[in-house]
Amino acid sequence: MRLEKCWFCSSTVYPGHGIQFVRNDAKIFRFCRSKCHKNFKMKRNPRKVKWTKAYRRLHGKDMTQDSTFEFERKRNRPERYDRNLAEDVLKAIPKIDKIRVRREEKHHKNRMKGNKAKLLKEAARELEQGINLVKPPSVLQKDPSLTLPQIKVLVPQQQTEENRPMEE
Amino acid sequence: MAASFASKCSRVGHSLFGGLGNSLSGLVTTSQEIICNKFLSQQQQQQQRSFIQMRTVLKVVDNSGAKKVMCIQPLKGRKGARLGDTIIASVKEAHPNGKVKKGKVVYGVVVRAAMQRGRCDGSEVKFDDNAVVLVDKQGQPIGTRVFGPVPHELRMKKHVKILTLAGHIA
Repeated sequence: MRLEKCWFCSSTVYPGHGIQFVRNDAKIFRFCRSKCHKNFKMKRNPRKVKWTKAYRRLHGKDMTQDSTFEFERKRNRPERYDRNLAEDVLKAIPKIDKIRVRREEKHHKNRMKGNKAKLLKEAARELEQGINLVKPPSVLQKDPSLTLPQIKVLVPQQQTEENRPMEE
Repeated sequence: MAASFASKCSRVGHSLFGGLGNSLSGLVTTSQEIICNKFLSQQQQQQQRSFIQMRTVLKVVDNSGAKKVMCIQPLKGRKGARLGDTIIASVKEAHPNGKVKKGKVVYGVVVRAAMQRGRCDGSEVKFDDNAVVLVDKQGQPIGTRVFGPVPHELRMKKHVKILTLAGHIA
C-alpha cells in the first residue's frame, strides 16, 4: 500500500481519506481533505498559502535539506520481503525519527535567535509611547519616580552596569 | 517592588489598547462582509455536480464515429447513472463517415464523470468532464480506441476490453 502526498499541503493521504481529481491529460491530483480540495478549486497557489508545506519550505521556515529525509522516498522497485531486513527497518524508524526531531528543533532555535531582543525592544517602545494613557504627563512630571524605574527594568543588563558608576 | 509596579502598569496599558482595538473592529466589519460576499460568489461559480440523467449530453471518447450523445435512459439506479454505469443514449453529433450515424440509439459506458464516486477504500475520485464509450448490447466496445484516462473500477463492471484499449488508467 502506497501512502501518497496531498497535492496542496503535502501531508500524507492515508487510505480511505480525501478525494482525487483526474484531469483530462490523466494527471492525478490527490487531496487529503476537503480543505485542500476547496483551495484547489479556488485556484490558489500552494506556494502562496501560508499553512502549506510548500510555502514553509520556500520561505525557509522548515528544515529542507537533511539526510533523514533520504529514507522516505518514492521507490518504484518492489522490495522482496526479508524478515531480517524488516526487523532492522522497524528498529531504525524510531531512531531516525528522533534524530530528525532533534535537528528540526535546532533549526527552529536557529531561526528564532534574534527574536527575544526584538520583542523586548518593542515592548519598551510601547510602554514609552502608551504610558500617557495610564498616567497623564502632568502627573509624571510631578512624580518622575513612576516612569524611570520601568525603563530601567527593560533596558538590557550591560547598560545598567554602565549607569551605576555614573550615579556614584 | 518597582518591577511589580511596572508589570501592573503595563497590564493596564494593554487592556486600554485592547479597548481601542474593539472600538476599531466595528469599523472593520464592513470590509470583512465585502470579502465574505466575494468568497460566496466564488463558491457559487463552482457548479454542484450531479448524476448523469435524462438529457445529459456526454462526450464520446472512442473512434466509433459519434461525437456527442444525449442520455435518454440511465440503465441502473433510480437517480441516474454514475461512473462505470451503462446508459442508453441517442447520437446528437457524429462524424460524416463513421460506424455510428446521427439519430441512432446506442448503449454507452460512462468512463468519466464530473461527479465524485466513492472508491472501494473509502476515498473518492472525480474527473474533468462526462465522457462515454459506446458499446453494443453484449457490452463489447464499438470503436477500437479509447482516449483519455479511465478508472480502474471498470474491471469490476466487466469492461476489461475498454481498460485494455485505454492509454491511462486512474
